[in-house]
Amino acid sequence: MFLGITGYNHESSAALVDNDGNLIDYCKEEYLSRIKGDKSFPKRSLKKIIDNNNLDISSIKSIAFYERPLSAFLFPLKTAASHLPESLAFMSHQLRNFNKSSINCFSDVADLLPGLENKLIYLDHHLSHTLTALPYSDKKNNLCSVVVDGFGDRNTTSISYINNPLEIKEIWDCKYPFSLGLYYSTITDFLGFQVNEGEYKVMGLSAFGREKSDLAIKTSNLIRFDKDKKSLIQDMSFFKYHLSPTISFSNELIELLGEPRNPFKKLLETDKDFQKYADIAKGAQIATEKILCDIFSYAHQLTGSNNFLFSGGVALNSASLRKIANLNFVDKLIVPPSPGDAGSSIGSAYYAYLKESKTSNQTFTIPSLFPCKSINDDQLSLTNKILSVHCEKLTNSIDESIRKVSELISNGEVIGIVINNAETGPRALGNRSLICDGKNTDSVKILNTVIKNRSPFRPTAPFMKMDVAKIYYELQEELIESYYSMGATCLTKDNTGSRDFPTTHIDGTARIQILKDNYFYEKLFLELETHDVSILANSSLNLSGDPTCYDFIDGLMVCARNPLKYLLTDHGLIKYNKK
Amino acid sequence: MSKKQKHKNNDQNYLNVMLETAFAEVGSALEMLAACKRSEKSTFAFGYFQHAKDEYNHADTFLSILGDYAKDLPSNISRDFRYSSSALMKKGYVSNDGFLIETMKLKDFIAYVYTNELLAKNSFEKILKLVKKDTKAGLKISQIMKDELRHHGMAEEHFLKYYPKLQPWQLMFYRLRETLMNKGRKFYDKNLRFLDKVLTPLYYSLAFCAGKILQLIDLNEFDRKGKDLMNIKIKSIL
Repeated sequence: MFLGITGYNHESSAALVDNDGNLIDYCKEEYLSRIKGDKSFPKRSLKKIIDNNNLDISSIKSIAFYERPLSAFLFPLKTAASHLPESLAFMSHQLRNFNKSSINCFSDVADLLPGLENKLIYLDHHLSHTLTALPYSDKKNNLCSVVVDGFGDRNTTSISYINNPLEIKEIWDCKYPFSLGLYYSTITDFLGFQVNEGEYKVMGLSAFGREKSDLAIKTSNLIRFDKDKKSLIQDMSFFKYHLSPTISFSNELIELLGEPRNPFKKLLETDKDFQKYADIAKGAQIATEKILCDIFSYAHQLTGSNNFLFSGGVALNSASLRKIANLNFVDKLIVPPSPGDAGSSIGSAYYAYLKESKTSNQTFTIPSLFPCKSINDDQLSLTNKILSVHCEKLTNSIDESIRKVSELISNGEVIGIVINNAETGPRALGNRSLICDGKNTDSVKILNTVIKNRSPFRPTAPFMKMDVAKIYYELQEELIESYYSMGATCLTKDNTGSRDFPTTHIDGTARIQILKDNYFYEKLFLELETHDVSILANSSLNLSGDPTCYDFIDGLMVCARNPLKYLLTDHGLIKYNKK
Repeated sequence: MSKKQKHKNNDQNYLNVMLETAFAEVGSALEMLAACKRSEKSTFAFGYFQHAKDEYNHADTFLSILGDYAKDLPSNISRDFRYSSSALMKKGYVSNDGFLIETMKLKDFIAYVYTNELLAKNSFEKILKLVKKDTKAGLKISQIMKDELRHHGMAEEHFLKYYPKLQPWQLMFYRLRETLMNKGRKFYDKNLRFLDKVLTPLYYSLAFCAGKILQLIDLNEFDRKGKDLMNIKIKSIL
């Protein structure tokens, strides 16, 4: 068995790959700690995986960490050192937090699982991203991997050629501090959203922006890919993320774009400043899409490959995938369901496996979208009193539940779902979701604003079967796999009415999810057809600011804290009464 | 100190109190949720579940008071008071070692809840003075104080029911111990901030020296361009 772990910088997680190269368990630390974006050493996840799979230290052949810790520590310091004395605060902060950096990984593993530290191995950060994407591709040879993130352990963007899984050559990279990921995060910060949390809000907001507006042009001009020099050009005088531990942008950016948004002011379309901030978001989105297209063109030029893997935090920018897939040389674009750091434990575990197996002709199966083993059954007896006081059990069997859920959905109700295993990525794909009729405007509005308290400018994702998707949306063959994990947006088809669905964004796109490998939803969609419901609106089961629910008790807590009434669980459908 | 500066300090103090209290409430909610999931009996789980729900609601209240106040301030002040749950551990509201239910004996845990609910109620009295009792925020905080007293009473009842051999005076001892420890923590925190200010020039000097050394180090030899990433030493941390 082979373990992979991530942590210390972004969301931490652990993954387990068996001796045949199959991903058999995965867990994000935030699922268990209930702290959104938990980046501490993933001790709970590791323990859970070891307990769930009855492992002991001897059965684990190696454990791989997703970056080279000393590199990750030294490279930002080295950059800051060339900006002394301006960077003193940053340097002092980094040095004082030495003991909280990933250098501590060895001793944390030793403390938690004595003996396992001797089996600890390391890989380059961008390689961990590449190996996270590779298992999701049916092709394993002659591929090009593009990794774009904020910062790894030495670079921020890279292009690699995969001859076979045991031969992955890096052929181009972009060094810190020039970073498309950190540029986008800086604009996120400027717009008042939390860095590493609010980037998807910027993406949603950008659809309201005007491409030709002065602010959009100014924002997009802050960064570009120079096709002659083959490098990312960024005017660092507008940025401070490499010099300051507390603020990511400089006064020059404020002079250029005006006052940053107050994070506490609601961002509503009717507000006078809304257009200003939407234009800035638009500029960031334009720059991102343009640069990604340039990088992919260069990657094709370097490798001659038409099949691409795309990973790193920037690959979460689902709106840009459509543009990349439109490039005439792209035959296939594979983005893993969790392309950011949280998913990198999967790539790390595969690295450990590949180093041991030493077989270049790998045929490992494509991992499940739901590898995170559930513990819902363990909680049934524990919740007896909560259920007896607050809940009414409406159904027992799965068939009965499907019938009742369909009926409720067709009547405009929103249903919370906590069933089976949990998803890998940040997008809820149905097992930890809030769902309702995707064509019912009132239901979607309740789901989005009343239950989730989301910003009104962010649409909810539509979820459907493939045949329905083909009717309403312009699907791109290159991105089919990404639609299964809600990873890419697509355009609505003309004259189908889909432009007016409440799940369609202002720019006529939707971040669709097409059903794959989920027995429960296959049956549910079949039953929903009898009620004339073919599209569900799907959002993660959580409250704003919390991680997605992981277990039965988390689901009950969501019901207790907001107006959600119905919760479908492995133990039947329940109605939560707020006494 | 100018009037403007004084005003700014007052704003920052207000926002800081609300934010830190929200952090404390979320921390407390997480502790209760963890206790709920690790309970031995469903009745215990129910009690912890209700308690967690209350604490989450309290946190929402403090965040809404914070938001109402901060939305009218300049963004360069308000942006520093954004809530992010990832700071819970950094600020010490949840221990890196694990939840209290994982690291404490059950008896000590219940006594801890009993004591801390009372301490929380006392600290809310100070917050109430800050926001004024008859304001909208003041009314919300008064309600929270009632909740905290209820939690305190429930913990006491629970403690005496399941540990009948222990006497109320022993609970008093727990309370005294936790009160002293709380004061100690505050004293330590205050001194740490003071020491931090005093030692900053030293930290900066050391950082400057480290920077000068780093300028001499060439990391280019660790460049990966053209290298097979699968063939780099598996034990190398650089």
